[in-house]
Amino acid sequence: MGGSGRSDGFPGELEQMVMLAALRLGDDAYGAAIGQDLEAAVGRRVSRGAMYVTLDRLEAKGWIRSSMSAPVPERGGRPRRIVEVTPTGLDRLRRSRAALETLWDGLEPLAREG
Amino acid sequence: MRLSPLVRLLIGFAVPRGPHREALLGDLAEEMSTRAIRDGEAASRRWALREALSIAARMRLDRLSPSAPRRDLSLAHDAPGTPKHDTTLTRRVISSRGVLPMDALIANARYALRRMGRSPWFTLTAIVSLGLGIGANTAVFSLVNAVFLIDPGFDRSERLVDVYMSQPGFTHGTLSYPDFQSIEEGVDAFSQVETMRLAFVQLEQEGRLETLTAEAVSGGWFSMLGIDVVLGRGLTPEDHVEPGAHPVVVLGHSTWVNQHGADPGVVGRTIRLGGREYEIVGVANERYRGSLRGLEAQLLLPVLQYDELSGTAGNSYRSRRSQSYFPKATLAAGVTPEAAEAALDRLAADLRAEFPDIWTEDEGLTLVPTRDVVINPMIDRYVSQTAGVLLVVVALVLLIACANLASFLLARASDRRKEIAVRLAMGAKRRALIGQLLTETTLLSVLGGGVGVGVATWAMRTLQTADLPLPLPITLDLSLDLRVLAFSLLVSLVAGLLFGLVPALQATNPALAPTLRDETAGGGRARGAALRNLLVAGQVGVSVVLLVGAGLFLRSFAAMQEIDLGFSEGPAALVELITPSARYDHVERRAFWDRLTTDVERIPGVRQVGITDNIPLNQLNTQTIGVQVDGMEPTNGASDFSVDWTMIDEHFLEAMGIELLAGRGFDGGDTEESQRVVIVSPAFADFFFQTRDVVGRSFTMRGQETVIVGLTEEVKVRTPGEAPRPYLMVPWTQSTSTSYVLVASTEGDADALATQVVRAAQAIDPEIMIFRAMTMDRHLAAMRIGRILGAQVIGGFAALALLLASIGLYGVVAYSVARRSREVGIRISLGAESGQVVRMLTLSGLRIVAAGVVVGLGLSALLTQALSRLLYGVSGLDPVTFVGVPVLILVVSWLASWIPARRATGVDPVTALRSD
Repeated sequence: MGGSGRSDGFPGELEQMVMLAALRLGDDAYGAAIGQDLEAAVGRRVSRGAMYVTLDRLEAKGWIRSSMSAPVPERGGRPRRIVEVTPTGLDRLRRSRAALETLWDGLEPLAREG
Repeated sequence: MRLSPLVRLLIGFAVPRGPHREALLGDLAEEMSTRAIRDGEAASRRWALREALSIAARMRLDRLSPSAPRRDLSLAHDAPGTPKHDTTLTRRVISSRGVLPMDALIANARYALRRMGRSPWFTLTAIVSLGLGIGANTAVFSLVNAVFLIDPGFDRSERLVDVYMSQPGFTHGTLSYPDFQSIEEGVDAFSQVETMRLAFVQLEQEGRLETLTAEAVSGGWFSMLGIDVVLGRGLTPEDHVEPGAHPVVVLGHSTWVNQHGADPGVVGRTIRLGGREYEIVGVANERYRGSLRGLEAQLLLPVLQYDELSGTAGNSYRSRRSQSYFPKATLAAGVTPEAAEAALDRLAADLRAEFPDIWTEDEGLTLVPTRDVVINPMIDRYVSQTAGVLLVVVALVLLIACANLASFLLARASDRRKEIAVRLAMGAKRRALIGQLLTETTLLSVLGGGVGVGVATWAMRTLQTADLPLPLPITLDLSLDLRVLAFSLLVSLVAGLLFGLVPALQATNPALAPTLRDETAGGGRARGAALRNLLVAGQVGVSVVLLVGAGLFLRSFAAMQEIDLGFSEGPAALVELITPSARYDHVERRAFWDRLTTDVERIPGVRQVGITDNIPLNQLNTQTIGVQVDGMEPTNGASDFSVDWTMIDEHFLEAMGIELLAGRGFDGGDTEESQRVVIVSPAFADFFFQTRDVVGRSFTMRGQETVIVGLTEEVKVRTPGEAPRPYLMVPWTQSTSTSYVLVASTEGDADALATQVVRAAQAIDPEIMIFRAMTMDRHLAAMRIGRILGAQVIGGFAALALLLASIGLYGVVAYSVARRSREVGIRISLGAESGQVVRMLTLSGLRIVAAGVVVGLGLSALLTQALSRLLYGVSGLDPVTFVGVPVLILVVSWLASWIPARRATGVDPVTALRSD
C-alpha cells in the first residue's frame, strides 16, 4: 500500500498521537472523537486540518485502516469513518516508544522535573 | 444544528465527493452540536468555520503540493467505484471538450488580474458594489424564503384546510373549544377535525423558570399532520380524554437537542411544567417546527392540559368566549372545498341562532386550504407586502450595482480600443481577444460574488442574533440560500457579459484605421459615453426611489413617536404573573398581590406601583365586555355592545400616568359588596352618551347596574394608530383574573427593577408563574418595530444606493474630464479661469443627475401607492420627502462631480496638451 518512502521511518508526533488516541478509543475511534480526545489529553487546540491530513497519510502508509459506519441520525444521516490501527502501525508505535525509552535511559531525574 | 453552506462549500472544495467527505462533514456537524451546548451556538459556528478553513487549506495543499511523495493519496481516499481525482485528467477533459484550453484560461485570468491591479480603486469599487448588491439580494431572498417557501414541516395534503371565524374587519380569527367540537360533530363534509392552541408554559429547571412556546393539540393532530417522532411516540387520541388527566409531553426537536443534549434516553423522564410533573413520551422530528410559521413549537402537549398549565380557573373548554383555537380539518372523500364552506355556513347559522350573544349576525365560519396559508391569511397579506417591498428594494440595489459594473466595463473598453487595435493589427485572433475581455468580466463578477457571500452571511447572522423586541418568540431557520446566491451571481454575470461583450465586439471590429489614428485626440465622443451617461441617470433615478421610500418610513416613524398614547412612556417595569387557581383562592390571590405591591413600593427609586389584568397596547390579547345602555341598540343583532376593558387597582392610573379628566379614581371604598363602578374613556362617553359629562350616569354590565365614577384622557388600547376607542376600567375588587401585570414606574433603571420585582414575587411564592417580565420601553418598541425596521432597512439600502450612484457619477465625470483634459488645457492656456472650467465640468455632470432625479420622482410617485398601507400619518406623496430627497441628491452629486473637475483644472496645460 502506498509505497511511500517514509513508511519505513518513525511516525511523527501528531501521527503517534492520532494512533494512540485511536487505540484508546477502540471501536469509537472516528474523526470527531479522536480530535476531542487529543484536545482533552494534550490540553491545547488540535487543528482539524492537520488531523485529517494525518489520518489520510497514516492510511496511505498502511498504519491505520478505516471503514464506514452506518448513517448516524445525529450527524444529519452521515456515516462515521471508524479508524483502526493496523499491526504495522502498532509495530511502528512500539518501535518509536522503545527508541524514545532508550534515549531517555539515565535521564530519569530530568523526566520527573516539571 | 446544521452546517453552514460556507462550511460545506469549503469541505466540498477540499475533499473529493465520497464517503470520506461525508464522514468528515458528519464529524464537524457532530462536534459543532456538542460545542454549541458547551460554548454557545455562535462560538460553535465560529469553531466549525475555522476548522473547515484549516481543513480546506491543509487537505488542498497536501494533495496539490507536487513535491509531496503522496500524490497517489487520492487513490487511498476514494472508495471503490468513485472516479479518481486527478487534476491533469480534468484539464485534459476540459480542453478536449473544446471549451477554453485550461492553460489559456489561466493565462487570461492572470492577465485580467494584472490589468485590474493597475487601476485598483476602480476595480475595488466595481467589486464592492457588486458584492453589496449580490449580498443584499441573497440575504433578503433567503429571509423571504425562510418565511414563505421553506418546508412547513408537516403534510399539507390538498384535502387539509384551516377553519377560521370571519367577521367584517377581522376575516380569519380563532375559534373556541366548543366551536371546534361543534364543527367536529356538526359538519359531515370533514372526515377529521383537530385543533391547536398556543400555550406559553413555565418550565422549571434547577430552580429557574423558563417560558417555552408549546402547541396544545387535540388527539389526532400528530396523525393528521403526519408528524413523525424520532424517539418514543406522538400524542394520540388516548391523550385526549379528560381535562387535566394527561400529564405527558412531546419535546420539539430543538428542545431535545438544546436542553437535553439530544439524549436518546430522554423518553420516560419527567419535566416540571406549571408546577406539575410531565412525562416525556416522545421527541418530534426535526422537520416539524410548529404549525404557525416562525413560532416554534418547543413542546407539544395534550390540549386538555391547557387549563391546568395556564392556571385558568374553571373550564375554558366549555366557554365559547375563549376564542384561541386554530382548528384544521380534512375534507371527506368526494367533498369539494365549496361544499365544505356551505356546510360551515349552515353550522354558523345554527350557532348564531343558538348563541346570539356570542355569535353575532355578521360573524361566520370560513375555510382556507392549509397550503395557501403561511401564518394567518390576515397576517400573510401584510407579510407578503413587506416582503414585496424588500425584494423590490434589493433588486434596485443590485440594478445599481450592475450599472456600476457596466459603467466600469464601458470605460475600460473605450480605454482599450487602442491596445486592442494594436494587438489585432499584430495578428491576434478576434476570438481570443473577446475571450480575454470576457474572462475579465467573469472574474469581476465572481470576485463580487465572493464579497456578496460575506455580506450576506454577515447580514443574516446580524439578523439572527439581533434582539428584536417582538411580542412573541419568533424563530426563523435562516440559512444562506445557495440558489439565490447563484441567481444573483448569474444576474451580475449576464450584466457584465452584456456590457462587457458589446464594447468588446465593437473594440475588436476590424475597422482598425480610425482607431489607430486616435479618434480621441480631437475630444470626440466615444460610443460608450452616451450609454454611461444613461446608466448614471438611471442610477440616480433608482436612488431617488429608494430614498423617497426611506424618507417616508422615517417620517412615518416620527409621526408615530408623536402620538399621545394617553399614558406615560417613562421608565417602568412590567411584570405579568400568574397565580394559578389550583393553589390560590380568591382571598389568597388578593393577599399575594397586596403583599407584592407593598414590597415593590419599598424598592428604592420606585415611584408608583399599580396592577391591571391587561396592559394597554398588549398585542397578544384584547378583551371585551358586553355593555347595555338604555336607548342604544346594537346594529349587528347582538344583545349588547362589545367594549374593550381592563381591571385595575387603586394606583394603576398613577403608575401608568393616565390623567383623570373628571370624577375620581378607584379607592378602598370600591369593594366586592359595594356599588359596581367603572372609569371610562372620552370615546366611551361620546359614543354612548353623546357628552363628556358622564360621571354619575349608569348602564348595565354583566347584568348589574354600573355607575361611571371617573373619566380618563384618551388611551390607545390596541394599536397606537387607532381612532379613539371606547374603553372602560373596572376595579379589580369587583372582578377576577388569574393573571395580572404589575406596573412599577421608577426613577431608576427599569430593566433592573423588572428583575427585582420577579425576585420579590418569588420571595413570597417560590413557585409563582412568571409570564413576562419586561419594561415599558420594550413593550412600546414591540408596537413600533415594523416602522423602526422599515426605516432602518430601507434607509440603509437607500444610503447604499446613493453611495453607489455617487461613485458611478464620480467615475463618469472623472472619465469625461480625463478625456477632455486636452480641451481643458487649451481653455486654461487661452486664459479661462479655472473656476469657470470647474463650473462647466460640474454642470455637465449635474445635467445627467437632473434628468435622473426627474424620472426618479415620477417613478416614486407611482410606487409609493404600494407603500401607503405600511405608513402612518404620512401621505405617499409627502412634500417634505419629495423636496428633501432631490435636494440631498443634488448636493451629493455636486460634490461627486466637483471633486474630479477641480482636480482636472490643476493639470499643467503643457502636460495636458501633450496628452494623446
